[in-house]
Amino acid sequence: MSLNLSDLKKKSFWLRKEIFEMVINCGQGHIASALSQCEIVISLFYGGILRYKKGDPSWIDRDRLIISKGHSAMGIYPILSDIKYFDKGELSKYGSPDGILRIYGDKSIPGIDSTSGSLSQAPGIACGFGLAAKNDNKDINSFLVLSDGEHYEGSLWESAMFASHNKLDNLIFIVDRNKQIILGKSEDCLNLEPLDEKWRSFGWNVHKVNGHDYGEILDALDKCLDKNGKPSVIIADTIKGKGVSYMEDVTRWHNTMPNEKEIKIARKDLETNCII
Amino acid sequence: MKQNYLDFNRSTTNHYMRDVFIDSVYEYAKKNKDLFFTTPDMGAPSLDKFREKLPNQFIHSGICEQHMISMAAGLTLMDKKIICYAMAPFITSRCYEQIKCSVAAMEQPVNLVGIGVGLGYADAGPTHYTTEDIATMRVFPNIEIITPADEVSTKILAEDVVTNDKFRFIRLDRDVLPIIYDKAENFDLKRGFYEVVKGKKKKCIITCGYLLHKSREIIEQKYNDFTLVDLFKIKPLSEEFLDYIQQFDKIITIEEQWTEGGFGSCILEALSDLGKTKKITRYGLKKRFIFENGGRDHLLNTNGLNLFEIFKNENN
Repeated sequence: MSLNLSDLKKKSFWLRKEIFEMVINCGQGHIASALSQCEIVISLFYGGILRYKKGDPSWIDRDRLIISKGHSAMGIYPILSDIKYFDKGELSKYGSPDGILRIYGDKSIPGIDSTSGSLSQAPGIACGFGLAAKNDNKDINSFLVLSDGEHYEGSLWESAMFASHNKLDNLIFIVDRNKQIILGKSEDCLNLEPLDEKWRSFGWNVHKVNGHDYGEILDALDKCLDKNGKPSVIIADTIKGKGVSYMEDVTRWHNTMPNEKEIKIARKDLETNCII
Repeated sequence: MKQNYLDFNRSTTNHYMRDVFIDSVYEYAKKNKDLFFTTPDMGAPSLDKFREKLPNQFIHSGICEQHMISMAAGLTLMDKKIICYAMAPFITSRCYEQIKCSVAAMEQPVNLVGIGVGLGYADAGPTHYTTEDIATMRVFPNIEIITPADEVSTKILAEDVVTNDKFRFIRLDRDVLPIIYDKAENFDLKRGFYEVVKGKKKKCIITCGYLLHKSREIIEQKYNDFTLVDLFKIKPLSEEFLDYIQQFDKIITIEEQWTEGGFGSCILEALSDLGKTKKITRYGLKKRFIFENGGRDHLLNTNGLNLFEIFKNENN
């Protein structure tokens, strides 16, 4: 499926509202982290990048996708229901005992290719996906949406080294670089930059984009699909909490529920504020 | 002073467990291209052959145990078979979180093969010993933990590994051990235990691996009142095993581990759950980190596992 820019932007509005209402209804979830990745995941599903079959989450030759930042895996549930992986009614049962959708993404959910939540295990899993696809001579790509916080985990760099050595050019990682971790800005807590140079020195193709600009994201993803023997990473500069005025780039909203007054403001913001 | 208290004077083999295991896997892998073998830089002569003949099925993970485990789960999620092979401490506690989340929680049939369990790497020190691997690994609900005792049992186990997909932790000894299972059918993986020696009295020693052989030497030499049981499958314990041990008046477990959470604990817990409690005397390594030199037997002798002393005490 490949939508035009106008329709992609409509998806931005739609997805943010769906995420917000899903989480508010349940009272649990990481809203701000899910809001920062919206244009990334919409590009994958609706920008003609990810190969999948509507209604068939088990299609064996599908591209794989792991939201490595498992706390925001729920940010793709509305999309997964939209592509008929499960009934839309599940969204209102998110986080409830009689629903299948969970606070963190896990493998029991149709369309979630791997459980995530413990940071930076998914890059290793993606390496397994990549090796298996190469071994079978199958053109299956594995996409990963990483948080910047995951870059502190040593296991990420173990996998990064492994992927480039093994020429896993069927791996495409997208970093949701919202620059916020739980206790503050990443650069204040423990410096991560220069992130692009780190990835490049590990043998990866590196692209930097505005993570809320469909043109830039899709252009970079297209380049990644043009295989050159190296895995690729896109560092997408994003704003945590994008779309809700009082959440944007404010540290305390990592896992905080808005009160009634804040909910009203957010609903208004999400009607008007998230266009890039 | 080194107490070389027993030699394996009736050893009929010079085959290392690791080579028997890897050679068996190799034979299968030649015919099944979906089987992969990975290691964070642990070698073996048999592995040299595997690497040379089947380069596409050998994966050097880098000295990156955490990555190796997640990558292995990625392979099984794509319906591949995978065997991970490393020194026992580094394939258990070093990558514990990955085993929990990437393997156990997703119920992936990853095979973890740890070499040199217990003090197998004497005198390297605590970094290279596993004095807690049973305690740490047995808590995973869906794991099988197996300690083969010789090359025959290792080969049977390898054949089970390549044909039946399960999440396993396989505990290989570093040393060459004599044959116990000259009758292969005695190594019954469903049963999980084998009565190696039938004693004259209702006293039972339960052990496995290296200490099984040491215990056998002592029993056959001097203390033939004792029955000797190889508890090679620690998890899950079979119902048959729990029924079997009911016949004994005295039960003693001897393990090359700290006793907290070891297989003595497993048996106590299982019996308690069944309401069939029995007194079990548990012997294990002293609760300390071992930094001395002197070789495996010396370190065992001086750290709570002097088997002569144990048998002497328990014989009274």
